[in-house]
Amino acid sequence: MLKKIYQVGIVGGVVLMLASCTAGPDNTGLEYAPQMYHSTPYEPLSQIQDKEAGTWLDSNPEDEHGEFYNSNEYNAFGMTMREPVAGTIRRGGIPNHIAPDDYETAATELTSPIEFTPDVVKEGKALYDRFCDHCHGAKGMGDGSVGKVFKGVPTYNSAAIKDQPEGHIFHVITHGKGRMGAHSSQLSVEERWKIVSYVQTLQKQ
Amino acid sequence: MITNNLSIRKATRLILSASFFLLVIFFSYTSQAQESDGIPTDESVVSAGESLFKGNCAQCHDIHEVVIGPALKDVHERRPKEWLLKWVKNSQKVIASGDEYAVALFNEYNKNVMPSYPFSDEQVTSLLAYIKVESTKEPVKAEVAAAGDAAGVAAADDSIPSSYLTAIFVVLIVVLILILVVLGLIISVLRKYLNESSELNEEDVEVVNQKFDLFGLLQSNAFIGLVIFLFTAIVLKTLIDGAFTIGVQQGYMPTQPIAFSHELHAGQYEIDCNYCHTGVRKAKSANIPSPNICMNCHSGIKNVGGASGVSPEIAKIYAAIDYNPETGEYGNNPKPIEWVRVHNLPDLAYFNHSQHVKVGGLECQTCHGPVEEMEVVYQYSTLTMGWCINCHRETDVNTKGNEYYTNLVELHEEHSKEPMKVEDIGGLECSKCHY
Repeated sequence: MLKKIYQVGIVGGVVLMLASCTAGPDNTGLEYAPQMYHSTPYEPLSQIQDKEAGTWLDSNPEDEHGEFYNSNEYNAFGMTMREPVAGTIRRGGIPNHIAPDDYETAATELTSPIEFTPDVVKEGKALYDRFCDHCHGAKGMGDGSVGKVFKGVPTYNSAAIKDQPEGHIFHVITHGKGRMGAHSSQLSVEERWKIVSYVQTLQKQ
Repeated sequence: MITNNLSIRKATRLILSASFFLLVIFFSYTSQAQESDGIPTDESVVSAGESLFKGNCAQCHDIHEVVIGPALKDVHERRPKEWLLKWVKNSQKVIASGDEYAVALFNEYNKNVMPSYPFSDEQVTSLLAYIKVESTKEPVKAEVAAAGDAAGVAAADDSIPSSYLTAIFVVLIVVLILILVVLGLIISVLRKYLNESSELNEEDVEVVNQKFDLFGLLQSNAFIGLVIFLFTAIVLKTLIDGAFTIGVQQGYMPTQPIAFSHELHAGQYEIDCNYCHTGVRKAKSANIPSPNICMNCHSGIKNVGGASGVSPEIAKIYAAIDYNPETGEYGNNPKPIEWVRVHNLPDLAYFNHSQHVKVGGLECQTCHGPVEEMEVVYQYSTLTMGWCINCHRETDVNTKGNEYYTNLVELHEEHSKEPMKVEDIGGLECSKCHY
């Protein structure tokens, strides 16, 4: 009888162990062929900082760390990515030398390199819905779901804004103004001009 | 003498103000209402001011409360009209002129620049007329806060706390045991009574004194067979299920260093996924937003639900980028936020977000599930190869407005009436994803 209980216990234990292969809230679960899951080269969006990780199947003992360790110890915080050097211009970015707070020069000097055709305005609207809508509202009335809480979002057809030229709006998207932050890291130059094309239609409503 | 002088002065002031009041009433009955402070009270002027105020000022100013700029109650009494005209038309010019009040005001309100408004004198006057009328009214209770509270309560009501469920469960078990005990007592009392009454024949006695043979039942072949069958079935099912989940991280929901809620940001505040995950239409990875994107809003929003102070979770962003929310200044000691990656596609499989989202036109939710309802993000889909293949077999290629596919669609339509699926253009080829 005792032997039988013992046997049942072993089977149950195996079942439980296999069941624990399943991923849980803080557990990725058992990996099949873990070498295939973890990148040995540096990865931009995932890195393993634990030098012991994967010691049990180390294929290269000379590197003095586990198989899965892939952080760059020469970078700050062992990061695999580095911040761009100051003054870096992103690909496709057309730099201008107007100071971030010089809205007047931007208003007079900056003009769109792309023509505001109906297609461009349509693309601008799609971008506007993704990047501006939640603060400025669908029609630029400053009544977006975030704008209501953030406060201080102006309406595009208010007297201070409705006559602002395209260069001004481009400069505001690029560097921010007042409580609005800079959006140049999220939007390319071309995308910004497309948004400007749509905002110009909202100013005139 | 001095007191006399004072009382005389008071009296004259009283008379003067009384006559002035009368004058005001008199003039306000005449067609062109014009008061001593130069602010009319005409209804038409006030309503013109109201529409100007709502279209231009209400985003930053309230009559009774500080929003971004100061509360405007009685502003016409605080400052002379000429100053206000200059200020509204070009506040920066007034500050630059070195006006002490203007400079102090600018500094008090965190150097937020009030835009210049190309209003005429009449328009600013109508604004002041509206502010003057509103100043006399009682503040309307903020509905936003009340609505927010209601939402909070509703959210709390949505689910019963698990501690309640446990309590209910325990109480139920206790009640059931009590009923069992009472029933047992009733049976033994009845048996005793029937045995003592001795008016029973033999059959009855047998029925009354019958014993429930639990051990016999346990040893019956049918029972043992049933137990073995059930046990084997459960073991096999768990084994198979367990084996299938090896390498599948569906349901993985790691605790993140900052308790960022997608339900709040993407759900309640309807911020588009693209706003933060900027790589999703341009690159292989959707990208984890850098803190400068957080700060586009959290420079202003420092706590949840409009509460004052800094929320402990938002404080973690400030700590990471070495930002001082009091002064609004950045230090030079930033450190990375170590987010835990949720979706870990094995290194052997290539996946590109822009191909699926921009070209294919897929919604994020197709693969990631209802992220806008997730307080903590978890892996929604299995992300197994079978799952990929299945979708590539079933999904029509989004060829609309994409010249790249024109020839392919033509060729496809020559020999098939079905719409072009992803598998028809090589969506099942090994080397598309594995190389």
